[in-house]
Amino acid sequence: MNRDSYAIALNNAIAEINKAYPDIKNSFIFTKNAKVLTGDQETDQKTISKIQESFENLKEKAAAIGNLESFTITTKKGKLTLSSIKDMHLLLATGKKADKNHIYSITHVIIPTILKTMETLTPTQPQIKPPKELVVDTLTGFFERDSVQIDPEILLNLTKNKNDPDAQIKIETFDGNTTLCKVKEINDQKMKGRNMIRIPEKLCKTLEINKGDRVKVKPAP
Amino acid sequence: MTEKNAETDENENKLEELQEKLQEIKDQEGIIGYILRGTKTASIDLKDPKKIIDYAVLSSTAFDASTNMTEALQMDEPKKMVIESEETKLLAMNVNNHRLSIFMEKGVNHNKIYKNLK
Repeated sequence: MNRDSYAIALNNAIAEINKAYPDIKNSFIFTKNAKVLTGDQETDQKTISKIQESFENLKEKAAAIGNLESFTITTKKGKLTLSSIKDMHLLLATGKKADKNHIYSITHVIIPTILKTMETLTPTQPQIKPPKELVVDTLTGFFERDSVQIDPEILLNLTKNKNDPDAQIKIETFDGNTTLCKVKEINDQKMKGRNMIRIPEKLCKTLEINKGDRVKVKPAP
Repeated sequence: MTEKNAETDENENKLEELQEKLQEIKDQEGIIGYILRGTKTASIDLKDPKKIIDYAVLSSTAFDASTNMTEALQMDEPKKMVIESEETKLLAMNVNNHRLSIFMEKGVNHNKIYKNLK
């Protein structure tokens, strides 16, 4: 999830929290780099900047007692709570009647849970498998001209379904020639388990390779 | 002149009373020490004297930051401030025109101390 999605999700969360807890007068979230991710409509940028500046200064001096987790100020009119949640800071200013258990729930349970959930929604990067190196064997014969053949274990690693008649792989020579072609299991029992790729003669010519050469094979993009 | 002397005496009595309370608090389990700063004088009692400067700077910054933040949000004067880190906590407050900062371990009930001092 990128920062914009983060901001939208947090903005919605803050808006809902403000609706549910009318005692919250001001609320905003900013990052360690002082970037405001989201905030209520009432608090202007000048006010936010002033608070951020004071907080950054305090955070620096608070290193004397360890990493700052929270800063709470109680006044006659209410309470101001600044909490560090992961790499963000949440400010909540509440009226004097605000329930401290609610505030605790927001700062210690609700917002951290939302942040954690958003982190888990981050799409995982597809794992890039290194190309597999195989030794070329040439295939001859009329019926063997449109598909290459490889071991079933390698086939399973490179394609989602080894029985798919349209399964394809990418072949790359060490001279940089590449091609996409259909692939199936080696049908000659003697050739199995020898880390070989059987390529039709015509395709070998196209790729400028000979029997015994090595090629790299990857899943089709 | 007599009224002024009486006021001074009262303030001195309050300060003595506060310092007695601080001595009691200081001996409680989990209390790291305190800094009490008036306009002319300051008393500091910390278990680790090497930290005096860092703690004094933090204390002063806490008061300034609180004032700036509450002013920005039009929230009136700060009465009580609490800074929490992973293991340590700082309770800061104004008492008898003095700035008081008490450093303690995180598990200590700072509200109890605050009620005792206010």
